[in-house]
Amino acid sequence: MTRLYRILLLIVLVLAFAVLLPWQWYPREWRVWYADSFGASNFNQQPETISAIPGDNAEEACPPDIKGWRKPQSIAGVELAASPNCLADNPHAVAAFVKGTNNVGHMTLMDARLSPDAVVKGRDLDGDGDPDEIHIRLEVFELNGGSPDLDVPVTQYSIAPGITPGLWVFAPKSAGMSTENFESLLAQPGLRLPSPAIRVEQGDKVIVTLENTHYMPHTIHFHGVDHPFLKENGEGNDGVPVTSEKPVMPGKQRSYEMQPRQAGTMFYHCHVEVQAHVLMGLNGLFIIEENRPNNWVQTFNIGDGFVRHSSVAVKEKYDREYDLHYLDLDKELGEKIQQSNDPRIVTQLINRDYDISQADFEYYTLNGRSFPYTARDSLIVTAPGELVKLRVVNGGSEGVAIHTHGHKVTITHYDGVEHPKPSQIIRDVVWIASAQRVDLELSTEDDGLHSYGEGVWLMHDHQEKGVTTNGFGPGGNVSAIVYERYLQDNGWPMTFGMGWKNFLTPGFYQRQEDGSGVTTLLAGVEESGPSVIRLIALAAIAGLFVALLLAWVLKGRSRD
Amino acid sequence: MFLLLLSLVAVTSVQAQNKHHNHQMPGMSMDATGMVMGNNKDKLPDDCSEISGEYEINVVAGTSYAKSYASTMFGFNKHEWRVKPCSRITVNFKNEDDVRHQWMLHGLPKYLYDRGMFHMEASGGHSQSGVFIVPSDDKTYLVHCDIAQHMEKGMKAQLIVGDGVGDLWSIPGISADFERPGGILAAKPVFAWLLAAFIFVIVFFVGFRFFKL
Repeated sequence: MTRLYRILLLIVLVLAFAVLLPWQWYPREWRVWYADSFGASNFNQQPETISAIPGDNAEEACPPDIKGWRKPQSIAGVELAASPNCLADNPHAVAAFVKGTNNVGHMTLMDARLSPDAVVKGRDLDGDGDPDEIHIRLEVFELNGGSPDLDVPVTQYSIAPGITPGLWVFAPKSAGMSTENFESLLAQPGLRLPSPAIRVEQGDKVIVTLENTHYMPHTIHFHGVDHPFLKENGEGNDGVPVTSEKPVMPGKQRSYEMQPRQAGTMFYHCHVEVQAHVLMGLNGLFIIEENRPNNWVQTFNIGDGFVRHSSVAVKEKYDREYDLHYLDLDKELGEKIQQSNDPRIVTQLINRDYDISQADFEYYTLNGRSFPYTARDSLIVTAPGELVKLRVVNGGSEGVAIHTHGHKVTITHYDGVEHPKPSQIIRDVVWIASAQRVDLELSTEDDGLHSYGEGVWLMHDHQEKGVTTNGFGPGGNVSAIVYERYLQDNGWPMTFGMGWKNFLTPGFYQRQEDGSGVTTLLAGVEESGPSVIRLIALAAIAGLFVALLLAWVLKGRSRD
Repeated sequence: MFLLLLSLVAVTSVQAQNKHHNHQMPGMSMDATGMVMGNNKDKLPDDCSEISGEYEINVVAGTSYAKSYASTMFGFNKHEWRVKPCSRITVNFKNEDDVRHQWMLHGLPKYLYDRGMFHMEASGGHSQSGVFIVPSDDKTYLVHCDIAQHMEKGMKAQLIVGDGVGDLWSIPGISADFERPGGILAAKPVFAWLLAAFIFVIVFFVGFRFFKL
């Protein structure tokens, strides 16, 4: 190679290096000089904007009320008010809870899907026209659990479109299947989050029997409810596995007895491995109503929300009553029951591997739903000039800061104990610690203090992650105080802003850009791969096959 | 008091049952001890000219029957029964647990059985008896308890009529699970692919040299 060629090659290399050197690495002055001398670089065409999520895939915001559960009706002699929300509770079940499952007919029980001994109401001990012996039976159900044969959760319950976290709930003893029917994987309407509110009357002789239909041990602790530490027969009655009794094993049952002397909004929850069991959903409201004559209380309020048959004492003062149950859920904890079908491994995952001190909470629910599903059954419907009673519990692990748009509410009770009138405070943010209950009085008198007038007024946790689902908004425990004038005939609120369709597409809360929807697979199945031996054998066969084919082709060629 | 209440339930529910008897579905009974649906002593399926055989099976349900199969929590004393086509089967179902259990059979002809089901539910400590007649075709029927997670955790069985059509999945002591493979590579699929590529290359070169000779 001549000297000239060497120099030329060097120059080419230097030029190539200079061209390839990133533009930003040159001094700014050089780049300015270059642009001034030769002009700007070419226009860069950016990728097309992704079009908005089409609403075609959206679920119906408010499913039609085919069975007529919303309208006012009389069942088994129980007069039931209309239920204003889009989704109403099963009125046959409500009637059975008021009369007692032992006092209603066969067809009512069938329609209610309840066992004849779910709520047994016995004698009237004080002669005031209502039963005072109450025997309640609770079962434990797993929602969105694992299966050996399917790659999706079974006994499904969605807290929001496409969101099916693993859950455990208490439910009144039912009859028949846990699913809607044999072809369906969806849980029947009586099985849902939260564990139902339980109502008894002050002074009632109450027996609560826990029938453990689940594959894990459980107990019930009656938090704040007047109950003796030991039963008359000397057995433990506090529900704590170490101090009072052994837990109720799968397939076994145990009864708790109490005769609460004080009225108030209390709480109940499982006390086994509380850091997991309570937050899986095993907690609910336990309300002791003041004693009144002819006071047939609605023993269960499934899913909480509107109380369709309020007690006599509540009706004396209030126009309507709502139970509100706030609960935050840890996505990773819920996945533990989906990761394996082996109860031993599930136990290990929950009791040993799960570390709540490292946990963060992804789902924020009100009455077992996150926005937009909260608008189906947990709107607070009211009218001008009313007094509404709200019984609120925080069943979750973090505090909630409930803010009411357009209203300031009065806190009348903390943890079931009434505050003296002069010290009752009026606020628009109510802080509720874990396991705490507050009774709120919502006045709809348009005086610029209690209410600013009619509308669709949002009500939500003002810690902003409370209004997200998996860190994505709008979601979480957002609900609303809706005046009847702003409620459509089907129970859905009249709104004036953005449409709802995006939030009702199945892929929205999975952060899908096109909202096309995905099937949420079970945690354990999602990541599963093939077995080692099978894979080695497959690879070996494929290798031999290709080698043979190639050798054959090459041999054929060499002969030509 | 518990016993008193229980007897109260039994009495009142029997009364309720009589009162509403007219509204009930045929072949159905229900009280505090449980229920039977699809009870059928004498109606022959269309494809059977007569009852070919009589069977009486005694089924016991409870957590104690899960002990033989690690990783289950609920179970039946047997998980498979074999009968001849067009036979009549009496099931005596006993629940040894303190909670509800079911013996629910699916896939029967819908013109004879509501939703194609023969279904028994026994409350804790109670028993139920029921009768049904199977059609003439060879078939494997699913039997399970439909309380959430009871089938998944062991209460799954099969009734084989004639030669059946093979086993159902995930029946304790009989068949494997359909999903959820195990093993080291199951958790990290990328290692599985690397291993497969490595084996493929080795076998290819060895095979190529061998075949070229």
